[in-house]
Amino acid sequence: MTDSIQTTKNLQKPIKGRSLWIDAIGRLRKRKLAMICFGIILFYVFIACYVQVAEWTGSSWPTNWDESTGQKYESPNAQNIFGTDIFGYSILRKVLYGTKISLQVAFFASILSILIGVPMGAAAGYFGGFIDDVIVWIYSTLSSIPYILLILAFALVLKDKTPFGFKLAGATTVYLAIGLTSWVGICRLIRGEILKRKESEYVLAARAMGCSGGRIIFKHLLPNTFHIVIITFSLRFMSFIHAEVILSFLGLGEKDKPSWGAMIDSARLDLPKGYWWEMTAATLAILIISLALNIFGDALRDCLDPKLRTD
Amino acid sequence: MPSNIMSETKKHLVEVKDLKTHFPIKAGVLSRTVGHVKAVDGVSFTIEAGKTLGLVGESGCGKTTVGRTLIRLIPPTAGAFTFEGEDIFVASTGRMKAIRRDIQMMFQDPYGSLNPRMTVETIVGEALGVHRISTGNKRRDRVVDLLKKVGLSPEHLNRYPHEFSGGQRQRIGIARALALDPKFIICDEPVSALDVSIQSQIINLMQDLQSQLNLTYLFIAHDLAVVEHISDWVAVMYLGRIVEYASREELYANPKHPYTRALLSAIPEPDPTRRKPRILLAGEVPSPSNPPSGCPFHPRCPLAEEQCRHQIQALLPKGDSDQHVAACWKVK
Repeated sequence: MTDSIQTTKNLQKPIKGRSLWIDAIGRLRKRKLAMICFGIILFYVFIACYVQVAEWTGSSWPTNWDESTGQKYESPNAQNIFGTDIFGYSILRKVLYGTKISLQVAFFASILSILIGVPMGAAAGYFGGFIDDVIVWIYSTLSSIPYILLILAFALVLKDKTPFGFKLAGATTVYLAIGLTSWVGICRLIRGEILKRKESEYVLAARAMGCSGGRIIFKHLLPNTFHIVIITFSLRFMSFIHAEVILSFLGLGEKDKPSWGAMIDSARLDLPKGYWWEMTAATLAILIISLALNIFGDALRDCLDPKLRTD
Repeated sequence: MPSNIMSETKKHLVEVKDLKTHFPIKAGVLSRTVGHVKAVDGVSFTIEAGKTLGLVGESGCGKTTVGRTLIRLIPPTAGAFTFEGEDIFVASTGRMKAIRRDIQMMFQDPYGSLNPRMTVETIVGEALGVHRISTGNKRRDRVVDLLKKVGLSPEHLNRYPHEFSGGQRQRIGIARALALDPKFIICDEPVSALDVSIQSQIINLMQDLQSQLNLTYLFIAHDLAVVEHISDWVAVMYLGRIVEYASREELYANPKHPYTRALLSAIPEPDPTRRKPRILLAGEVPSPSNPPSGCPFHPRCPLAEEQCRHQIQALLPKGDSDQHVAACWKVK
């Protein structure tokens, strides 16, 4: 016992190792462009959170987007820097409010698709055989249907349903529809990665030592594939924002609130008359975050992919 | 294996009898089995407690499969593996977990065999948690002990595998294998991925540990010089079978099987002024899914005759010693 106390004392300062995560973050921080993009993404997230908090606390700005702040179709000016729409509503407030809806949809859809895709992919890859056949069959079927059509079908089916006494409407329908259809990509990636890694020697060593299947999946395999989840999360986030825009544009998303898609939908009729500012504001908002997510996601992939760092 | 070797099995820790591992070849839409890769096809050997058996052969001869089958990472097709009198191949899953405490494995690739996302402490101590042996500070002390035993220092505890050199990583692998106080360690080419100078350090460490802890090794390798250094007995494998089996001194001084002779002639001679005859083998190792008829070595054998093409000889005693066996019609 005294011996064990001594060894523990000697160990007061074992050298702290640098994990692969810390390494990756260090490399990421050296990339200026990626960090600028990360700042832009954080700014969007901040706006979304601010709007949500304002809504909860009953604060007026910018949740009072449905109050007219001027004449109809005012071009951008000092009072309304993005101008006003047909009802004289401030387009700035609509864009800010739309940020919340878009980010909310993309966030929940990503979480949902990861929660479905990762366990399915891990199970298919690790257990193989019948389980693998069933899961591959399901995702092959889903991925053979054109993506937008599939989301539309899900959104139509889910719309105004009340499972468990909870009415599905607006943004909830949209992110359920996107989440339930888009787990295929991550599932396939994780399955492939697990298939590759389950033959590696550290997994063999874990099996030789008597680890259970669950322990091998959760302690050995998933931590080594988690960077893929993060990279996919950042890259898919963008396509989920686009999907929300398309669904809203087609009239299946938010009806009563101004999402970016709904704004583009209403502005499409104004554009031929020369009222370009609503379309421009919504499109710019989408363009900037898409670009930021894309560049940041690429940088993330470069930094997290262990293949670029072998030793 | 002749009876005169098998008869003194009482004190043998490890007895492998007629081990076969075949992999099905599936083809077509319905994945029907159209054939088998006979990776291991009837291998028998015994190892005394505290001794080392070297298992040598070229790539693809099935030596790694033997090791992985013994520890049941790959299901055996036929045969028996008796460890301390118990047949491992028929043990239940629960019993097998207990047996795994006594049989451990060391791996070839010092880069692939350690989980890159775990610290050294987690890697070495994992088995202690899985088998509910110790937790917390006690586990940490045990890991520190193990690290010291393999020549690493306690300050390495919180480091990650990518911060170590190949030799150090292999030491971590040894510490992991020792964590459960095993009796038998299957060493799957543990030094073939290392520099020669590091190889000797690791081999010496393994020998020290063997004498300290009374370990029994199955040492799988393709490097005959390394095997000569560490082994007490040597078995030479070719295409899923053992073709020669003898004590180290006997095998290196007096090789019988033409394949063993060819392998030994390939060991580089340190003295450049001495030249020894080099036996060059023609051709490649045949496919284990479609092995040649008769003796599997006959297409490449300089001594092959008609009989070799049709019949395979069992391992029979050759020369003066009845402990030196080989499977060849042409040598007496």
